[in-house]
Amino acid sequence: MTPSNSQAPAATPGRPDRRGVDDYLVIDTVRKEFDGFVAVDDVSINIRKGEIFALLGASGCGKSTLLRALAGFEKPTAGRIILAGQDLTSLPPYQRPVNMMFQSYALFPHMNVEQNIAFGLKQDGASKGDIEKRVAEMLTLVQMSKFAKRKPHQLSGGQQQRVALARSLAKSPKLLLLDEPMGALDKKLRSQMQLELVNIIETLGVTCVMVTHDQEEAMTMAHRIAVMEAGRIRQIGSPDEIYEQPNSRYTAEFIGSVNLFEGKIDKDEKDFVTINSPALPDPIFVAHGVTGFTGMDVAFALRPEKLRISKEEPPEPHNKAHGSIEDIAYFGSHSVYHVRLDRGSKVMCNFVNQQRWASEGFTWNDPVWVSWGDLEGVVLPS
Amino acid sequence: MGFLGRSGRRGAAIMSARWRRFIPGSRWGLILIPFLWLLLFFAIPFLIALKISFAKAAIAMPPYTDILYWVDGFPVLKLRGENYLYLLGDSLYIKAYLSSLKIAVIATTFCLLIGYPMAYAISQMNPSTRNIALLLVILPSWTSFLIRIYAWVGILKPNGLINNFLMDIGLIDAPLKLLHTPIAVYIGIVYAYLPFMVLPLYTNLVKHDHRLLEAASDLGAKPWQAFLKVTLPLSKAGIIAGCMLVAIPVVGEFVIPEMLGGPDTLMIGRVLWQEFFNNRDWPVASAVAMVMLALLIVPIMIFHRAQSKEMEGRLS
Repeated sequence: MTPSNSQAPAATPGRPDRRGVDDYLVIDTVRKEFDGFVAVDDVSINIRKGEIFALLGASGCGKSTLLRALAGFEKPTAGRIILAGQDLTSLPPYQRPVNMMFQSYALFPHMNVEQNIAFGLKQDGASKGDIEKRVAEMLTLVQMSKFAKRKPHQLSGGQQQRVALARSLAKSPKLLLLDEPMGALDKKLRSQMQLELVNIIETLGVTCVMVTHDQEEAMTMAHRIAVMEAGRIRQIGSPDEIYEQPNSRYTAEFIGSVNLFEGKIDKDEKDFVTINSPALPDPIFVAHGVTGFTGMDVAFALRPEKLRISKEEPPEPHNKAHGSIEDIAYFGSHSVYHVRLDRGSKVMCNFVNQQRWASEGFTWNDPVWVSWGDLEGVVLPS
Repeated sequence: MGFLGRSGRRGAAIMSARWRRFIPGSRWGLILIPFLWLLLFFAIPFLIALKISFAKAAIAMPPYTDILYWVDGFPVLKLRGENYLYLLGDSLYIKAYLSSLKIAVIATTFCLLIGYPMAYAISQMNPSTRNIALLLVILPSWTSFLIRIYAWVGILKPNGLINNFLMDIGLIDAPLKLLHTPIAVYIGIVYAYLPFMVLPLYTNLVKHDHRLLEAASDLGAKPWQAFLKVTLPLSKAGIIAGCMLVAIPVVGEFVIPEMLGGPDTLMIGRVLWQEFFNNRDWPVASAVAMVMLALLIVPIMIFHRAQSKEMEGRLS
């Protein structure tokens, strides 16, 4: 069952145009087994030219194996990988027009920055002048010209990452692979480098597949995300689609936090649905139709920031519940209230601290009302 | 008050650090043991040999003159350079030194050529087979060195294992002369010193990050190119360590040339033995040993400087 309004939302403004053909990189039913264990289970993805595509999942979900198959380090048990019309499946890594930025970078410790960047170009037999020119270009691109003669261990983590990026871009690959690109950086540097990396990749227009277990990183950097679990793709979509329109409980719970109410469809009309949930006194009112039937078991997913919290009972006739504040997590920019509803279940409710000291309005054990708009939740198959 | 309290606590910390130095088992105690060992078994014997090398042979007990004696109540130190001049004057000694160095260089090269692939193969094995392979490398040294070299006499002699086998399969009619040849010496040295090459190389190679090879491959290097450009340069420290561990003792090797070499196999270890036991000329023997030490110290210093330079480069 999928919600009936699942048509893709209009392209988000401000996001660069997804240019080019739809099947620049074709991952065609790729399967990888290790001694009977299925790491990648018949995965098919089409990736557009110039797109930044993220494989997102918990560790062991097969995302790294799939990336290594793209690089050529793992040979798929079955399936094909086609890049710009060329079948790469049986090519060794050194013959693929694909370069990878490794997790923790794998810079050559015995070579300086320049030599690291020049490595791939030398391998191609480029002339000395061409190599020098290209290396200088790359150093400028990643703002590392000053450090050309340094050895990798003389650089900070962020600088090493820039060198690793320059090295993987020097050969102008048709496909750039990023393996946990921010894994080795601390949090503050991470958010800065995420945007910088995306800027560089988008400036060059290179198609990019990245692997990450960090949903924030995937959401910030990627145009589209594939959520993987146990070797399979659970959902592919833009970051906002994945977040606002998860197609399963797994995706809803994996990306961000979510309040889930289990229940049964009570009234199934063309333009609204009501759901009876034992956790709530009144039926949930959903102001759009869903493909389902009366009596069907469903889960109603509601993101914490979609919930409003108030001391007085809201005037709306439905989609509200009474409870008391059990826990408060103060994050500065916002607070998360854990509200124990009168029927026993607990919900999380984000509250943006728009005014200073706004969080002081609520305290532990305060009786409160939580409420939500008729369009803010998602109905998922249970 | 807070300030006072804090500085008082810091003072106590300094005091306890000061006292801890003198407690055995701390840093000093740890350094003391190897220091005493080196003093007793290296520095003192070295100084005795150095002293003897400046003395003159005498028919006495011990068979050399004192270099320090008393004249009219004053100590007189008499250092004789004759023994060193004697070494320079007789071409036998120079030839022996050069021949020893040549044998050491050639044997070390063979050890490296055989030992590198061995160490590389072991480092690529999975951990359980790796330990068995390492044990096989070390196991022979649990047997006496002398017995192992004797075993090679049995293998190489005219009616030994190799000759009998070759004659049995009809490849040769008369036994080959293998024993008491330079080839036998090289076989013996390479056999005996191979573990000293394999172990440091293995220790180096096993630490290599395989992702570096993947990165090289990703950037277009075929496996052999990746080996030459990544693995080989990164194993430089292991190669140097292995070569030093083999070359230095081989220069002074006595047992192998004595047992497997012919009368013409000239090595400084044999000359030393002859001077000491046959001629009973302790001062000349000591001078021979001192010169050998000087010859060996030079390459050690060069390697050491090269290495510390590399380290400096890394730190700056």
